[in-house]
Amino acid sequence: MTSANGGRVTFDNVSRFYGEVLGVNRVTLSIPPGITSLVGPNGSGKTTLMNLMSGLVHPTRGQIRVLDISPNDPERLCRVLGYSTQFDSFPRGLTGHQLVSSFLRLFGYDDDACNRLAGAAIERLRMTEATDRKVAAYSKGMRQRIKLAMAIAHDPQVLVLDEPLNGLDPLVRAETIALFRELAAQGRHVIVSSHVLHEVDQISDQVILLSNGYVVAEGKIQGVRGEIQEHPMQVLIRSSRCSALASKLFEFDHVVEARLVEAGSAVLIKTRDADRFYRALNHLALNGIDIEGVAPADDTVNSVYEYLIGEEGSR
Amino acid sequence: MNPVWISQIASVMRLELKKSFFARRGLWIYLLAIGPAFLYLIHAIDVTRDHEHRQAMLKSHPVDTLVLRAIRPGTSEEELTADLGEPYQKFEYRRGRRAAGPQEVTINRYTDGESDFTFTVVDGFVRGINEQDRCNVTKDSAIFATVFQFFYLRLAVFFGCVGIFSNLFRGEMLDKSLHFYLLAPMRREILLAGKYLAGLSAAAVIFTAGTALQIAALSWHFEPGQVAAYMHGSGWHDIASYLGVTALACVGYGSIFVATGLLFRNPILPATAVMLWEAANPFLPAALKKVSVIFYLQSLCPTVAAPESDTPALLRLLISTAEAPPAWLAILGLFALTALVLAAASLRARRLEINYGTE
Repeated sequence: MTSANGGRVTFDNVSRFYGEVLGVNRVTLSIPPGITSLVGPNGSGKTTLMNLMSGLVHPTRGQIRVLDISPNDPERLCRVLGYSTQFDSFPRGLTGHQLVSSFLRLFGYDDDACNRLAGAAIERLRMTEATDRKVAAYSKGMRQRIKLAMAIAHDPQVLVLDEPLNGLDPLVRAETIALFRELAAQGRHVIVSSHVLHEVDQISDQVILLSNGYVVAEGKIQGVRGEIQEHPMQVLIRSSRCSALASKLFEFDHVVEARLVEAGSAVLIKTRDADRFYRALNHLALNGIDIEGVAPADDTVNSVYEYLIGEEGSR
Repeated sequence: MNPVWISQIASVMRLELKKSFFARRGLWIYLLAIGPAFLYLIHAIDVTRDHEHRQAMLKSHPVDTLVLRAIRPGTSEEELTADLGEPYQKFEYRRGRRAAGPQEVTINRYTDGESDFTFTVVDGFVRGINEQDRCNVTKDSAIFATVFQFFYLRLAVFFGCVGIFSNLFRGEMLDKSLHFYLLAPMRREILLAGKYLAGLSAAAVIFTAGTALQIAALSWHFEPGQVAAYMHGSGWHDIASYLGVTALACVGYGSIFVATGLLFRNPILPATAVMLWEAANPFLPAALKKVSVIFYLQSLCPTVAAPESDTPALLRLLISTAEAPPAWLAILGLFALTALVLAAASLRARRLEINYGTE
């Protein structure tokens, strides 16, 4: 590490225009290790942001550093960064193993190292059976996995994955998510873009919400939700005395709605002040109201995204 | 040089060679390379059949070369027949509507087995004599030099290099596969070098093989003795020169088209501009002539294909009559030009980015 930002991926006032078309504008970010999801509708700038950090495109203005390395220095950058792009084109006529080992050969590794690393990466993605088949004959899901194998084969510190779960069946999806978690637990950056918001919820340590080329929110999802004042927080409370609980809670001025749901077995509360609400709820519990469970109902990426960007984004 | 760079260049070449040699969209390049060899082969078959025909005619109408050459205009038809015997082919017709009446014209064809002699007899006297030689090495060398310089180098190798080198980057952009290389920890200059060398290897193999095939096809119809005599003389030097010039053409044009492939989306526009520049070479000032590939290549060709005096003005536009530098200087000049173009291309390569969406 050579500076305070050495362990982060940073964007400093970065803009990228494609002619007159905006890619991303005035993006300032500092992404720590862990799983970070880039969320946004098509054209929101997710892929541009990923291409920028991997040096595939250059910023029109601003500065990017990946673990303190400039993307203009591919010789250093690509040793610490692996990128699984959304593009499915590869050099023609290669098998899965040949593809990964050919890619590794570009790193300057000898044949033995290439074969060993390629074999290990393919094994890690559970692709061993298809390793000697031509990539052109792979299904969408297999292509996705071989791209992931290419991205992780050189053991990078930063993984950039554009829609990595697209086309994967549920079992492989679960295995792949487990792999991301494992890599993140090792202190790596796993930067993922996704349209599937419940998946983002499931896997992300932090999210970056994008809309029309702008970053509209970033951070841990609950933190982001707490920042949104104009939409009351929703909390689902399970209790054996839901009606009584609802009427008690409705007495507080910060509670704007209390509604019985799930056939009267739970109360959905909307409150403008989460802190005061939880203090009040504790007080009620101490005074004999039976509380079986409390869970935030709208601090999901989906809700946050809907609040910040609107219907279009959460679809 | 850094050993990792060498290994990276070798890895890029390994992947690119296959693409350059076996690209489906590159089949026309093979046709360009072997097309002239087919034409020479047809020529060789024609010459061989013609020779066999003359030998057969000589047997049925034997005649001595010296006697044939002794015939002069003004000889009467009776004397002609007395000296040479009956021609193997004879045409008679009348021409003109003069006051004195139409002329009686007879075409008499004889052969000594090697050349064809045509005597045109008008009103009973020989008026015209035409001797058509069988093709010889000198004559065919001149034909080869002309075709090589004006067709093969300027069109076949030129457009072949457009096809091979422009596609090195542009083709990957169209296939959306360039990121494969751009995500490797490799200097863009190294990528450029690897791709250029792969393209050069493919182009040089394809087009020097084309040149070799042309030479083989052209010399096929000669007697072994004639070929041996030519080889004993300037033959090997000429062949080596033509092969070398072909490879150098790939070096020079390759550097230009790998650079234009990085700069332009449509390879036809820069290719047309370069072709016009090369064609305008004879008319450029001395300093500018040197900024041209054809200037160096023509100086290295063993036979100078000079324009005929009756060459149409339009065709003359294609002909470079630049003052020839010595061979070593021409080779050095071509390499210097190539290095300059590749250096400019590497500056562009450093800023290379993927932009698949707009392709």
